[in-house]
Amino acid sequence: MSEESPTAPPEVQLADLRAGTGPVELVARVVALQRREVTRRSDGSRRPLLSGLLSDGTATVRFTWWDPPAEGVERGTVLRAVGAEVGTFRDRPELTFTWRTKVAPASPAELPKVDPERVPLRPIAELQTRTEGIRIEGRIARVAARTVSVGEERRVVHEGLVADRSGMIEFSSWSDFGLGVGEAVQIVGGYVRLFRGRPQLVLDERSTLTRLERSDLPDPTGRLAAAPRPIAAIEDLGGGASVAVEGIVVGLLPPSGLVYRCPQCRRTVSSGLCRVHGQVEGTPDLRARIVLDDGTGSATVAAGREATERLWGVTLSEALHRLRDQPDPTVLSEQLLESLFGRRLRVRGPASRDDFGLTIDPESIERADIDLEASAAELTARLGGPS
Amino acid sequence: MALRELAWRVTARELESSLEEEKGSGERAVAYVLSPFGARMNRVLVAGELVPPEPVGREDPPTFWRSRLVDPTGAVAVTAGGFQPRAMAQLRAVTAPAPSLVVGKVHLYRGRDSVVHVSVRAESIRTVSETEERAVLADVVRQTLDRLDLVERIEHEPSVADDALRADGAPGPWIRAGRDALRRYPNVDRPAFRRELRTAVRRIAGDSGPQPAAAPRSPAVQASTREPPRSPPSPPTAAEREDESLFLDLVDEVSETSVDGYADLKEILQRIAGRGVQSARAEATLNRLEEEGILEEPIVGKLRRAE
Repeated sequence: MSEESPTAPPEVQLADLRAGTGPVELVARVVALQRREVTRRSDGSRRPLLSGLLSDGTATVRFTWWDPPAEGVERGTVLRAVGAEVGTFRDRPELTFTWRTKVAPASPAELPKVDPERVPLRPIAELQTRTEGIRIEGRIARVAARTVSVGEERRVVHEGLVADRSGMIEFSSWSDFGLGVGEAVQIVGGYVRLFRGRPQLVLDERSTLTRLERSDLPDPTGRLAAAPRPIAAIEDLGGGASVAVEGIVVGLLPPSGLVYRCPQCRRTVSSGLCRVHGQVEGTPDLRARIVLDDGTGSATVAAGREATERLWGVTLSEALHRLRDQPDPTVLSEQLLESLFGRRLRVRGPASRDDFGLTIDPESIERADIDLEASAAELTARLGGPS
Repeated sequence: MALRELAWRVTARELESSLEEEKGSGERAVAYVLSPFGARMNRVLVAGELVPPEPVGREDPPTFWRSRLVDPTGAVAVTAGGFQPRAMAQLRAVTAPAPSLVVGKVHLYRGRDSVVHVSVRAESIRTVSETEERAVLADVVRQTLDRLDLVERIEHEPSVADDALRADGAPGPWIRAGRDALRRYPNVDRPAFRRELRTAVRRIAGDSGPQPAAAPRSPAVQASTREPPRSPPSPPTAAEREDESLFLDLVDEVSETSVDGYADLKEILQRIAGRGVQSARAEATLNRLEEEGILEEPIVGKLRRAE
């Protein structure tokens, strides 16, 4: 009745995967997946392929699944795979499910029990998207609930920042741990993904969060209120969960000023067309993509409507009113630039770096004024006293 | 990666002191002007008093304007042409000397006998209050001193690693510029330059007193000699320098619009004639510029700046 050989492959934890050990059995959760098709070189036929990340709480590994079922596998599905091949990709183990591999849904209860003590404690600054077996200790610097749409469903996600001595990372969790700012916690499990270009620690159902009584962790509010740093230094770090910079506005990038957004997805509409929803009746909005330069580097600060109105001193309705008298919207962009150019601003928020440089999602934008008398005194002292 | 070039905070004196450049290679090459005080500039932010501009060329309406920005340490030419319509309109709006901020690209060319012309082609200009001008000047002087400190540290510790400097807070672009400054200007008197910054600090402190450099003169050409001339057989006259400067501006202007990137000689001669310069004089200017290796004519009738 059973064709299984008496030497069934051993069940392994992902942290113990080693390439070249032959087929293995495992239970893991799909934490990221992508479905695509590849064209077979031999006959040009299309072959379906699922790829993504699997996590069992001990590690997160890439997987590739040839000829997967058409449905039933989603992010969050727990799978039991028997006879999975172990290969390597960029020196890391990688799993391949072939026609020989038996894959079936499994219960979260079947996932391996993770002993937190087995997982090494890591500094938060070292968490990367490929980090496996996560255990951190930190203080909650910020936490808030946000409602998001998942398909048709509305769900609440708890997002925030957790910091230790080494650094700070954004986190998100579907479950409500009832966290408060300043609490010290240990987090075991979960995985790190890139979210808006920044690393984010995702707590899944398998992650455990325990409150710590010890209090030698630093107060994270200081980190949130830290003094501005050179833009060049933040570029070197590739961004950060919460950065502060101070510089002078040297320009605006398009689109800035009056924009129209798709009523369904909020993307900017150009020529009445949304990239996703096609022809739509755009709703007007104000934004400013400010080029802030501090003499060491420059960053794009993506200011939304509220910040733009406050910095410009012109509200959306006033801008629309101006448009009636002067129907060229680029004139509005010029007026916006005219009012911002040369202003000194202090900006805080998460920053990410891509091919176009550093972008900051501002949580706060304040005018920064220089104390001329104090500056003159300081500079005089540096120049060796009055001449 | 085509990252945006940062805007170096520099004084007019630092721009006047800059004699070296680094030409980029390949398509979309980025050129930098190197200063002796640790700036590697493509773009700058300068603050000072902008004087009303004068048109360059006799076109009607003029399509190229030149002004001067004067700060307590010196002066630098600020230009804007039809390809920066917003900057040109902003420059033309300056009808009386006014405190201003200018962001723009630095251009340098070396004429005969080591005459170096540095100018800022404006991208954005705004007239500001005197307080705002002083605040930006404070930023300029502080960063200039920070850069000088870095250059001097590298000078005393030539083997210090970039990472060690970064760990002490030095921005990456400054480290590179500091090393370049030491290599390109081994004998510059940096302490003297520090002393010159004192006039700028007095201005930050609110002493608007006499600014000798701020006299409302606006020559059409801003040219300075900053190296002792090597006793040339016939030193160029001021008029010849002016002709060269005009000629090169026209080459830049014409080549920017041309499809092939070359400036058409006939068009330049026409424009020069429109300015009342006789064709023999224009030809002589062209010959000088070609002899000095500043311009080349790879195709008959087509000019470009030599590499």
